[in-house]
Amino acid sequence: MLGYLLRRVLSTIPVMALVALFVFSLLYIAPGDPAAVIAGEQASPEDVEKIRAALGLDRPFLVRFSEWSLAVLSSDLGISMFTGMPVTELIAQRIEPTLSLMVVTITLSVLLAVPIGVIAARKVDSWWDRTFMAFAVLGFSVPVFVVGYLLAYWFALELDWFPVQGYTPIAKGFWPWLQNLILPSIALGFVYIALIARITRATMLEVLSQDYVRTARAKGVAEGPILYLHALKNAAVPIVTVIGIGVALLIGGAVVTESVFAIPGLGRLTIDAIVRRDYPMIQGIVLMFSFVYVLVNLAVDLVYVVLDPRIRY
Amino acid sequence: MDRRGFLKFTAGAGTAVAAGGLAAPAIAQGSSRVLKFVPQSNLANFDPIWGTQYVVRNASQLVWDTLYGMDSKLVAKRQMVEGEEVSADGLTWTFKLRPGLKFHDGAPVLSRDVVASINRWSQRDPMGLMIRAVQKELSVVDDRSFKWVLSRPYPKMLLALGKVGTPCCFIMPERLANTDPFKQVTEYVGSGPMKFVRADWKPGAIAAFEKFADYVPRKEQAEWWSGGKVIHFDRIEWVIMPDPATASAALQSGEIDWWESPVPDLVPLLRRNRNVRLDIADPLGNIGAFRLNHLHPPFNDVRMRRAVQMALSQEDYMRAVVGSDDKLWKSIPGFFTPGTPLYTEAGGDILKGKRDFDKAKALLKDAGYSGQPVTCLVAQDQPALKAMGEVTADLLKRLGMNVDFVATDWGTVGQRRASRNPPGQGGWGMFHTWHAGADCATPVGNIAIRTSGEKAWFGWPDNAAVEKDIASWYNAKTLDEEKAIIDRVNRGGMEHVTYIPTGFYLAYQAWRASVSGVNNGPLPWFWNVKKA
Repeated sequence: MLGYLLRRVLSTIPVMALVALFVFSLLYIAPGDPAAVIAGEQASPEDVEKIRAALGLDRPFLVRFSEWSLAVLSSDLGISMFTGMPVTELIAQRIEPTLSLMVVTITLSVLLAVPIGVIAARKVDSWWDRTFMAFAVLGFSVPVFVVGYLLAYWFALELDWFPVQGYTPIAKGFWPWLQNLILPSIALGFVYIALIARITRATMLEVLSQDYVRTARAKGVAEGPILYLHALKNAAVPIVTVIGIGVALLIGGAVVTESVFAIPGLGRLTIDAIVRRDYPMIQGIVLMFSFVYVLVNLAVDLVYVVLDPRIRY
Repeated sequence: MDRRGFLKFTAGAGTAVAAGGLAAPAIAQGSSRVLKFVPQSNLANFDPIWGTQYVVRNASQLVWDTLYGMDSKLVAKRQMVEGEEVSADGLTWTFKLRPGLKFHDGAPVLSRDVVASINRWSQRDPMGLMIRAVQKELSVVDDRSFKWVLSRPYPKMLLALGKVGTPCCFIMPERLANTDPFKQVTEYVGSGPMKFVRADWKPGAIAAFEKFADYVPRKEQAEWWSGGKVIHFDRIEWVIMPDPATASAALQSGEIDWWESPVPDLVPLLRRNRNVRLDIADPLGNIGAFRLNHLHPPFNDVRMRRAVQMALSQEDYMRAVVGSDDKLWKSIPGFFTPGTPLYTEAGGDILKGKRDFDKAKALLKDAGYSGQPVTCLVAQDQPALKAMGEVTADLLKRLGMNVDFVATDWGTVGQRRASRNPPGQGGWGMFHTWHAGADCATPVGNIAIRTSGEKAWFGWPDNAAVEKDIASWYNAKTLDEEKAIIDRVNRGGMEHVTYIPTGFYLAYQAWRASVSGVNNGPLPWFWNVKKA
């Protein structure tokens, strides 16, 4: 197991190197010019050229890539072209809001979706099942920003239960922190609740038709333990896989949610960097996200072992 | 329902609720000593000489003071300067600073700081470059005085030092001002009424400013950028909100106090909220522009350019940009800002009246147009430019032109428009942009009218006569003389079709009823604004 863990961690190095090369190359050939954006609308072409030279954008690809790679190896992701601040500092500023949003969203999604899926499977074809699955279809179909605006309208503007926008760091108190996150998490979690609920239902239906479940029932085991101790544990592997994928997908979904609720997270940082062609910033964020994806996949693989003792690495 | 429609619906619903008498949410109640302001865009950098975006200038005016400040009549008034003397031959300017000026680190503002700041600014600013071209000496006389010796008189000196257009001549400590103007400063020690709180700056999220207790405002009443800059807040927070529906809802709920640029779609809804006030943000507005590439076919032929000019309907463009609110736009048969002293319509008849497509098509035919594609660079992430681009595509097609519509983003337009290659080899035929009315009030900031060929702005129009007229304006001594010259510049530019104005348009700003003293002007001024 330890050997496997070590191999997986080491395997991230070539993956990250490939990602770095790919992103750097992509940005090099992509259209757009940060110097023109920095110089402003009234700038002369000569000024744009001088800014480009000052930023080092006129140097050859290999020179720029090798310099950047060496810096990354020493944990230096560079300086943002626009803010003049270190990329690591800018990412660090934004990690907490995005991480908070993801934790609350995933927690909320799992806590709601798994019981919904289990109940729907237990009461298959009942009105419970149909209602939940209709909700799931709705969850897949309605865009995040629509849910976000509706929630903001009802619960922030009309009922005055939550703020319309913004983020409060957890250091300023748990309730203020949570208060800012509830609406965005519901909006962002809508689709994940639907996804996890459907997967849970489908997997549970399969497991509930297994012989050992019938045997347990024949032995007089109560329905609760059958569902949650025996069946759910055996259905957990696909559910955990979907949750893992969901965590990765959340990063994309967070972009819209962070914009709708004005949360200063990594999603907005990414979009701002792309729009401005802030190359060091984009490269730093993509590298970080790639690392997170690798870690999430690793965590999911390790959870498989815990859930299913037959799995060995 | 599309996203825009949905945005209107939800924002409208919010307004309806608020207008219906709901109390301001308890969540939103804030201190009267803190102002929360949503700027037009993200404050991504904070060096007003290095980055000349308007949002950077707007934030910088809080932190760095200027030698002169523009009033609403576009006259440069003394600001950090106590007085100035100009020699009889107009060649030597001597300036004296006001006593008691301090930087935010407590150091006094000295002449050497001013000289260094002027040096840095003048390497980036078009007027500064002109002065440098005739500069013999810029030197310190004593701690409060400095002199500028020229080889030729420059009558627009005060206008250069007090102009609103970017980059402005902000005064920084010498150690900051010695930074290469093409590199960013790394600390933010100001000379203005507010201090920049670097520790609270999260680009893309928030920028904060705290009152500088040692700032000494002028005694005169504040007017635009001139007069006493009295700040009534301990702290001003710039909250970045990329989503207009969110900003609208936050304004209605009282979570923010002032929104610089509400989108036109939401204005009617905000207007119905009794807790929100609306007014025109900047009376000098913006001028939309159809920028043509003078280097390559088809627009290297003035007849082709004129054909488009005679068919172009500014009303079509303006309705696409600002919607149905007729207060927000007007036709502009010229290159200078309506309502300012130099505004003229001389030579602009071709943009007035019924559009003549038949005549335009005939002109294209005479010019030998044979289906060359017109590469239109259209930034999809800038609503006004996207709207104008769509009108242009329709216009050119109706003229029988072959449209190569390149839908892209502003960053790419910014890069590609600098290419002088033919359209098929990475170049372009036309793009849309806009020019701030404050910049277009005089030839100083109105770079789009320059026709200096390779040295001109993107599109590289070349017309020596227009250039000569523009140059003569800088030496004009009376307003009448200036007006006569500008008439010639406008007529010459229209005949040459340097670019085609697509109309003059305005925008609203919105603020909570509890906030008073909000001005309208080319940028949001925070002095004398109060919050109940």
